[in-house]
Amino acid sequence: MIRRAALGLLALATARTAVAQAPPEVRLEAGYASVRQAGIDTKTDAALVAVFWRRPSDRWTFLTSGNLTYSRDSLAAAQGVAAFALPWTGREYLRTDVGAAGATFSLRSAGRGGNGNAFVRQHYVRNHGGAWLGLAGGTTRRDGNRSSSLAGDVGAWGRWHFVYASLSFSRQASNDFPLLVTAGVPVSPFARTFELEDAQLVLQARGGPHEVAVSWTNRRAVAGAESRANAVSASGVLQLTERVALTASAGRQFADALRGLPQADIATASFRVSLGPRLLPVMQRSVIARAEVEKSPAGGGELVVHVFSIESQLVEVAGDFSEWQPLPLERDGSYWVARVRLAPGKYRVGVRVNHGEWRAPRNLARVRDDFGGESGLIVVP
Amino acid sequence: MNRYRVHSLVALGLVLASASVTPAFAQGTAVLPISDAKARLAVEREIASAAAKGLPVQPLVAKAMEGVTKQATGERIRVAVASQAKRLEQARTLLAPSPSVAELTSGADALAVGVPAPMLKQIRAAWPAPQSVVMPLDVMTELVARGVPAKHALEQITALMQRGATPSQIASLGASVQSDVAAGLAPDAALEVRARGVMSLLPSPAAAAALAPSGRRP
Repeated sequence: MIRRAALGLLALATARTAVAQAPPEVRLEAGYASVRQAGIDTKTDAALVAVFWRRPSDRWTFLTSGNLTYSRDSLAAAQGVAAFALPWTGREYLRTDVGAAGATFSLRSAGRGGNGNAFVRQHYVRNHGGAWLGLAGGTTRRDGNRSSSLAGDVGAWGRWHFVYASLSFSRQASNDFPLLVTAGVPVSPFARTFELEDAQLVLQARGGPHEVAVSWTNRRAVAGAESRANAVSASGVLQLTERVALTASAGRQFADALRGLPQADIATASFRVSLGPRLLPVMQRSVIARAEVEKSPAGGGELVVHVFSIESQLVEVAGDFSEWQPLPLERDGSYWVARVRLAPGKYRVGVRVNHGEWRAPRNLARVRDDFGGESGLIVVP
Repeated sequence: MNRYRVHSLVALGLVLASASVTPAFAQGTAVLPISDAKARLAVEREIASAAAKGLPVQPLVAKAMEGVTKQATGERIRVAVASQAKRLEQARTLLAPSPSVAELTSGADALAVGVPAPMLKQIRAAWPAPQSVVMPLDVMTELVARGVPAKHALEQITALMQRGATPSQIASLGASVQSDVAAGLAPDAALEVRARGVMSLLPSPAAAAALAPSGRRP
């Protein structure tokens, strides 16, 4: 089983796409996990290995990740996910994520088997907030028995300075009763399926590359079982160098029927190592830059440049207005923002990331710049 | 040295150069921040040569600074400055008799994106001096860069100008087309729709003629 899982992970990690052009982002994570499976009194010490591989193209981002948790006698689980993030043409505030995930497991508490699931999620993303709506379905084979699950979720997030908050509600229906039984949840002997409702609140604070997050989940069984419980978990990332980070997490994971995973109390500590390019050499299309003018009643306006980029270290804007002197944008979560007051007129604008190539903001008219590149053109009324 | 300070010194040097028709760079008055001394001198000569022809130096210094920021080679910067000087010279002829520096810069940029030269003359004719053609030229440049056929863009802008549209209204046309194109509309169709919208706010041709200052076509 372990060999099969390892082969699966290898296949995911080396997956290629013919049209992807940008260099991939590769992260490797290895560490220790302490797991207490629901229904089992003793704790299990396990090794944790995870790989994350992401490659953006002109129009979409492909990502895949896998992780393997292994302990000699009672725990072995391997999971993998492959997904596409598809931005909408002309409407960068809309994005559709589609993907599929698979897992294979051998657990003392919840038997041996595998799981496959697929999901689609529609995002609406603005500068300081967003919302999503998702639907997913999965099937699990456990000790020779097959079950299926269906889940839907809706959520919204908001950002205030360096604090992010999200609130989501999900509902899942499944007939994977062993998952609930091992967690000690009383189930109805007559029910063919059970339904669970989760409300989850996540608070996250980011300071530069470091972050901490706390999540609280309230679960309620609404059909086929009787249960109401809360789970809290916390996690943190401490960036040690440009390539190495220390991550830690602790908390309760409720049984997840969609992915076939049982309830467990888990604590992890691991090192995360970035194996891809240290700094992106050019501004990728996955980095979405927009420039707009907010009119001023007194005439002229304010050029507002927004760049969406999670992994960038430095984002700059330059143009006629600054005599082509680069001006740094200020980081605001996943966004970088600059505001420049401008008199009426026409200006050429360029944006670059991590000292890479100068590019035109995506929504502007593009003109050649006599240097083999391009600039954006904006007219201030 | 602070780049703004360098820029100011360069501009000052070039103003002096254009006045005396002497390459100030050769005398070491100011230095462009180009590391290759030979290439720097070639760029400075190019700028001084343009200044001697009476062309404004500010757009040329700006072009050189853009090249420096974009880490272009010295030779590439020289070629870019020479191209810009050529366009400025062409714009001066097309926007005669006495175009301002801003008009020359806008005219040169319009030529750079592919606006046909005769169209600059047509815009000048539709908006004779002392009216500034900066905003119409800038909006024309933006529309053409977006993919609107130059002929269509000129027709719409000229029609707006003849109806008495203000520079601000014309500039807003470009911004509106931009948002429509972002929403998925073809540039050509977006211009058509938006120009009609602006047109509806303007007085009729007869009223515009009555209101127009002397020397301006109705």
